[in-house]
Amino acid sequence: MEGIFGNLAIGFTEVFKLQAITIAGVSMTLPFNILMCLIGVILGTLIGVLPGIGPVATIAMLLPVTFNLAPIAALIMLAGIYYGAQYGGSTTAILVNLPGESSSVVTCLDGYQMARRGRAGPALATAAIGSFFAGCVATLVVAMFAPPLAEVALKFGPAEYFSLMVLGLVAAVVLASGSLIKAIAMVILGLLLGLVGTDVNSGVLRFAFGISEMADGIGFVTVAMGMFGICEIIANLEQKEHREVFTSKVGSLMPGKEDWKRMWKPILRGTALGSALGILPGGGALLASFGAYTLEKKVSAYSHEFGKGAIEGVAAPEAANNAGAQTSFIPLLTLGIPSNAVMALMIGAMMIQGIAPGPQVMTERPQLFWGMIASMWVGNLMLVILNLPLIGMWIKLLTVPYRYLYPSILLFMAIGVFSISNQPFDCFLMACFGLLGYVCVKLGCEPAPLILGFILGPLMEENLRRAMLLSRGDPWVFISPSKPISMGFLLAALALLVIIALPALRKKRQEVFVEET
Amino acid sequence: MRTLLRLLILVWLAAAAEFAAAQAWPSKPVRLIVPYGPGGPVDISARLLAAKLQDALGQPVLPDNRPGAGGNIGVDLVAKGAADGSTLVMSAIATLAINPTLYPGLPYDPLKDLRHVTLLVQVPNVLIVANDLPAKNVKELIALARQRPGKLDFGSGSTGSTGHLAGEMFKMMTGTYMVHIPYRGSAPALADMMAGRVHLMFDNLASALPSIKSDKVRALATTTRARSSFLPDLPTLDEAGLKGFDMTTWWGVSVAAKTPQAVVDRLSAEILKAMDAPDMKERLRNMGSEAPAVRTPDQFAAFVAAELKTYTALVKRSGAKVD
Amino acid sequence: MKIKSQQDWWAGLMFIGFGLFFVVFALGTPEFIDRIVGVKLIGGYQMGSSVRMGPAYFPVLLGGLLAFLGLLVLLDAIVEEGPKVAKFHFRPLLFIAVSSLAFAYLLKPLGLVLASAALVFVSAYGGHEFKWKEVAIMTVVLAMFSVLVFVKGLTLPFPICPSFIDNCPIR
Repeated sequence: MEGIFGNLAIGFTEVFKLQAITIAGVSMTLPFNILMCLIGVILGTLIGVLPGIGPVATIAMLLPVTFNLAPIAALIMLAGIYYGAQYGGSTTAILVNLPGESSSVVTCLDGYQMARRGRAGPALATAAIGSFFAGCVATLVVAMFAPPLAEVALKFGPAEYFSLMVLGLVAAVVLASGSLIKAIAMVILGLLLGLVGTDVNSGVLRFAFGISEMADGIGFVTVAMGMFGICEIIANLEQKEHREVFTSKVGSLMPGKEDWKRMWKPILRGTALGSALGILPGGGALLASFGAYTLEKKVSAYSHEFGKGAIEGVAAPEAANNAGAQTSFIPLLTLGIPSNAVMALMIGAMMIQGIAPGPQVMTERPQLFWGMIASMWVGNLMLVILNLPLIGMWIKLLTVPYRYLYPSILLFMAIGVFSISNQPFDCFLMACFGLLGYVCVKLGCEPAPLILGFILGPLMEENLRRAMLLSRGDPWVFISPSKPISMGFLLAALALLVIIALPALRKKRQEVFVEET
Repeated sequence: MRTLLRLLILVWLAAAAEFAAAQAWPSKPVRLIVPYGPGGPVDISARLLAAKLQDALGQPVLPDNRPGAGGNIGVDLVAKGAADGSTLVMSAIATLAINPTLYPGLPYDPLKDLRHVTLLVQVPNVLIVANDLPAKNVKELIALARQRPGKLDFGSGSTGSTGHLAGEMFKMMTGTYMVHIPYRGSAPALADMMAGRVHLMFDNLASALPSIKSDKVRALATTTRARSSFLPDLPTLDEAGLKGFDMTTWWGVSVAAKTPQAVVDRLSAEILKAMDAPDMKERLRNMGSEAPAVRTPDQFAAFVAAELKTYTALVKRSGAKVD
Repeated sequence: MKIKSQQDWWAGLMFIGFGLFFVVFALGTPEFIDRIVGVKLIGGYQMGSSVRMGPAYFPVLLGGLLAFLGLLVLLDAIVEEGPKVAKFHFRPLLFIAVSSLAFAYLLKPLGLVLASAALVFVSAYGGHEFKWKEVAIMTVVLAMFSVLVFVKGLTLPFPICPSFIDNCPIR
């Protein structure tokens, strides 16, 4: 145990270290690493709030800047951008129903409803508090259990990933509050849309119809902005009476006693789920956030409120996605394997600086390793200090009449989507998805399951085919006793499906029964 | 005599115009198309280069990621685009030498539609095996593969990558049968290798080196004819019995074919200058690259033609195809 | 056969449509149709076997499943009472869509300032109230904000001025 504190001491000393820096010809002694952390989290929050522009593009653009920084300063800043973007993304999800990151999609569901009912303050506060708590715990998890957790992550092969995603997709169905069959259909439609693009296993370009902009698939941001953002604006504008979208009666800025009582258990559960799933490269953090939502919905005494502004529906996913963001550093720091595109960029930044990412980083460069971990905690602290006072400002923003608000939102969305590849085509796609979302809402189909299917679909197919390749075509590989994890997930998925289907079946039987009497 | 004079004046004017154009180039921001997603080695080296070129050229050099279809989309954009030096592309062995045979109906001709300016990075591939595989050297591996036909899996970063083709070449030369498992990039393939789910890989040195150094995987040989200075104790496949095996992963900068010669020359000079700068040299070395022997555009063009010939034959013989 | 739930009816049709779309484009047009028409209408992808799934396998499977679910929803529409499809309001839909398209396609030729103005004006016109002065002020504020934050701050490569103006006053 002393080892941990010793290491954390190394880390914190590194983070708070005073360095002699020359800025614009003026030399001064600053705790430079802290400054980099601050810049990172502020920048991260900003791009998280701005719809469409994400941490990947920003970090890629800033990569040349990091060349001239010391490795630890560079990595601290980039990491700050990454988890800062999670905080910022929650803000837009709650305020304007726009998921900044794929893991914020779930926050939109209840967060936005809370905002519409004048409870944006408590929603934002819950998100910040939940994220901070989860960040602290997850950082501790990274500090104490990084190597063994990395070994666990390695145990996840294609079969396990596939089964996990099946479980995730079944959980996605739970997200919907309406008709079960339509929810499943939306998930499948999302799966199909996600298949557009280059197929990994064969190299074939699918469903691109010769449009080169679609050669790498349709971007998540495009779909999310279209189906959530544009659709919502149109829906708000079609109210015949000129009614304000957000009630001008704004409640308190902070959560009330009742809220606190209701949020602490979801935060705990979300943190646990997020910490566990975040270590899985490729999609772990996203699964965590909506796994947490599903879990809460099933477990909570207030499950009827989900979808209409239940605070648990904000607390749990937010805790989960921030915990996941922290633990997704584990494969990077211990094995040198990136969990997502942001980590891949950070590996690139490390390699350019001459640091080979991998297990030896922990032993050969303890300052770097523990400094990064310490900086994650400091960064979370900065973020909660930054975001809580900002809530007042955001609330004020919501009182602006909608006719000023929505062109601004639309403009930022358009800029964000355009900046994906600096081509007009993405905005065209966004408009198309806006139309699709609008039609779906009119037909009683919910967009959230579609988005989740969209993200998970290609991953699921890739892993399915790879597992089949590796097992030489044996379909029983997924439930074979030699793969207990995979079997476990599939059984859980089946169980969940039964739990979901049972009430619906019972209802149908009751109806038939009633009709017959 | 007068005709000769007129001719001379015309030629001089044309040369002057081209010279002027080259001096005027670049007159607006330059786009450097990276036909892959952000974060990969090509992307990183492109950003390194862009930062250096920006200072030298006085105009912004903007990396632009255009992934898709194994890199073909990005390269085609430049091949069919304006030939004024405003758009450059990071062309690689995959898009120039392998894909023309691998992808039926490739929309561009790598020799006719593109002008190749400078080779930036050349990295050897390394044959690595999972730690629990009972093969300590290439000979044992071949014996193992012959004992278990079709039972060994080799991973690669994508269909048509050098990792994939090195494996196919290995299979052909040793008469063995192993199954190819494509991944989305080297990293997940390495992860599966560390876990023992995939048995071997012919990964490029840049991405495999950390895992080799930390003993998470075992390196058996390099794919180049000469030993790598990063792993001097590692034999080459050529030494181990596969005579003539010489494969590297490489990428560089190309432009549209009709780009004026003066622009190409200036671009080549600036890129070479950037590459020779000590900090850039160091950073490229950190990626596993040794300074390429191929320097000038003409050498690069000849190199591309030779690689194209080699890989056309190899892909055809291996039967690999993207349908 | 009375349609008891209009929503479900159209939803079912939509799902069937999407499902069939993906199946057809993954499999391609069958041989005999190509022979009648004379040219390969839609090229498909390989199905492969369940052992070695080709690129068409998953899309066909899922597309078929989607179409089947659409059929179920259709049946539900006949059997069970359900809500009618709410009225489509084309005005906001059109204006919002057009405004974002206008922005996207005008950005390169006209620059960020004018493209933003186009978006703000068109989208504001699609709303309930449109007061020229208000919208004009909003346009100016938003354009300035965007230039400062996106182009200067985040260094996004957007042109600020139209392309026919060579020397932009704002650089």
